[in-house]
Amino acid sequence: MSDDALIDEQLRAAFPTLPPASSSRAGVIQYRVAPAQLLALASCLHRKLQGRLALLFALDGRPIADRYEIQYLFGLGSRGPWVLLTLERTGGDRLFPSITPSVHAAQWYEREVRDQYGLIPHGHPDLRRLVRHEHWPKGTHPLKKDFSWDRELERQPGEYRFRHVEGEGVFEVPVGPIHAGIIEPGHFRFSVAGEPIMQLEVRHFWKHRGIEKLFEQQPLAAALPLSERISGDTTVGHGLAYCQAIETVMHMTVPRRARYLRSLFLELERLHNHLGDVGAICNDTAYVLAHAHCARMKEQLMQLNDRLTGSRFLRGALCLGGVVHDLAPRRMEEVVDELNRIEQDFSELEAIILANASLTDRLETTGVLAERIAWDHGVIGVVGRASGLDQDVRRDRPFAAYDELPVKVTLYRYGDVRARLRVRIDEIHESVRLIREIARLIPPGGLVAESSDLPTVGDWAVSAVEGWRGEILCFVMAGEQGRIHRCKVRDPSFVNWPAIQWAVTGNILPDFPLINKSFNLSYAGNDL
Amino acid sequence: MFRILKKSLKTGIVTGRHSAPTESADGGLREARQKAEPFRRSLTIREVDTGSCNACEMEMNALTNPVYDIERFGIHIAASPRHADALVVTGPVTVNMERALKVVYRQTPDPKLVIALGDCAINCGLFKGSYAVTGPVERHVPVDVRIPGCPPRPEAIIEVLQDLRRRRQGEDFRNCPDEHG
Repeated sequence: MSDDALIDEQLRAAFPTLPPASSSRAGVIQYRVAPAQLLALASCLHRKLQGRLALLFALDGRPIADRYEIQYLFGLGSRGPWVLLTLERTGGDRLFPSITPSVHAAQWYEREVRDQYGLIPHGHPDLRRLVRHEHWPKGTHPLKKDFSWDRELERQPGEYRFRHVEGEGVFEVPVGPIHAGIIEPGHFRFSVAGEPIMQLEVRHFWKHRGIEKLFEQQPLAAALPLSERISGDTTVGHGLAYCQAIETVMHMTVPRRARYLRSLFLELERLHNHLGDVGAICNDTAYVLAHAHCARMKEQLMQLNDRLTGSRFLRGALCLGGVVHDLAPRRMEEVVDELNRIEQDFSELEAIILANASLTDRLETTGVLAERIAWDHGVIGVVGRASGLDQDVRRDRPFAAYDELPVKVTLYRYGDVRARLRVRIDEIHESVRLIREIARLIPPGGLVAESSDLPTVGDWAVSAVEGWRGEILCFVMAGEQGRIHRCKVRDPSFVNWPAIQWAVTGNILPDFPLINKSFNLSYAGNDL
Repeated sequence: MFRILKKSLKTGIVTGRHSAPTESADGGLREARQKAEPFRRSLTIREVDTGSCNACEMEMNALTNPVYDIERFGIHIAASPRHADALVVTGPVTVNMERALKVVYRQTPDPKLVIALGDCAINCGLFKGSYAVTGPVERHVPVDVRIPGCPPRPEAIIEVLQDLRRRRQGEDFRNCPDEHG
């Protein structure tokens, strides 16, 4: 709490006209700001107080109040509180000031707000459509309350304008939306002069399924299966972020044993994804041996998930207020034994991988994401930790059982593909260690919290979970009759995709698949 | 080198360690089986994602791992629809992917099969009705085979694919001792 007061004091010294904080719940200080104040305040938070723009989104206040709200969530320091700036737009005024010129990380968020609400970020350098592809008719802003969720969209002709680099010998290479491997759809437009990439433009949102609108059709307690399907490989991460936000709104206290089991499931998910990625990075350098071994171990882990919860992806393991599946002590021992065997197995492979000079040669200095650029984009998770950004929600804002299980955060500075591989390798060992700790410390007790509290209309909460890719955010606002008024989900991919455009510049085109794999971002979680 | 050899010897053979399929393939496969006859004992598939959550893709990728190793059944995954006998489509068809799906379908040479993989591809799953989803795969291209599940297990996918590339009616490869390793 003293942290909050300190930040408040600092901001008040710089901005004497700042209105009083309107709420201070769960480590979030909220200020309702005027449009004239916004730019200076955002830039002060970002530059002077080293705040990271963690989330920017809008919400349609109708029918509760006749206004739109635009919310800016800044994370101050790695362990500081959140600062939430709220900008209100009433009446027919569709313009709001763009903070992108001073806070670069806002770029995609503001374009997204424009597409979803028809509010225009005034002063934004790039006003092309993001989510709504060109064939969407004019005036279709799906998250406005008067846009029907099951409306059938007509088509209109239209063409997306890519940024062009012109000059002798410069040409463009379009890739996607359908790729050669078994991966998700997305489009990449490279401008190259010979082999080196001069510029990459990422165009996504092919998989936009309208998830945020679907959330608004559901009661608070029923949307967990939907959140588990935001990104298939992050079932527990997204599910947990959603559960925690709802539990805050409904004043539920999750039993200690359930919190330990949640950490266990989250680490199991991290393990199988990281193992798959280590193999896939090696595979993209044509080192198939490592890929085969990793794929085998990953399969072992998926089958373990299946035995524990009946789902290879741990679907349905969580529930509101706790977890569904309990593990008897003997079962827990078996899990630890199996993980110990896999870790031993993996350590042998790791020694082989890291001693391979030709592999190291491909990975080192490839796809460097400099710390400064990573910071400017607010990059998080594995990619951030490989570029020297020391942040991990498990340590910084402990949730589930992480307040009792201190996490050692891996940090590398080089920001290349090898650094990202090393982060994953280290995190595999750390996850196994954490699960051993969970097995040792897990207390007896209940699995699900009881609550009959109906949430107050307009009450909101924001929760953060360190998924295997990085920080997942979920903002939930309760609506009338126990329904969801607004659910904003932010997968780490949404933040990290723009940064990949910088990591590939200057690299050769054939290295792109390798760089892309080392980021391994989700398309589904990004497109929503 | 010795380390690699040691590791390989220690690992041994893991293929076929997966549990045998329990559910039997549905009878609606007869027509699809006839359509697959020209492909003889091999089947080259191309996977197209039109809006899934990625879990179906992960299970398709799992098919190529050493445990399932579908290449041993003569099933190959091609990088281009122009090389494919069958399209495997996952996910509800989103507004933004509809056109791409139709293009891919046209680019796949005839005769071809379309396999709808997962609940979303069959009936849009949880995304049914959304403004951003234009309907299940069969609304846009004719579907021959459906593999339900969210996501379907690798065993279930293997079973259907294997069934498709049976040589002739009545000949059951599932009973061949060398097929399951």
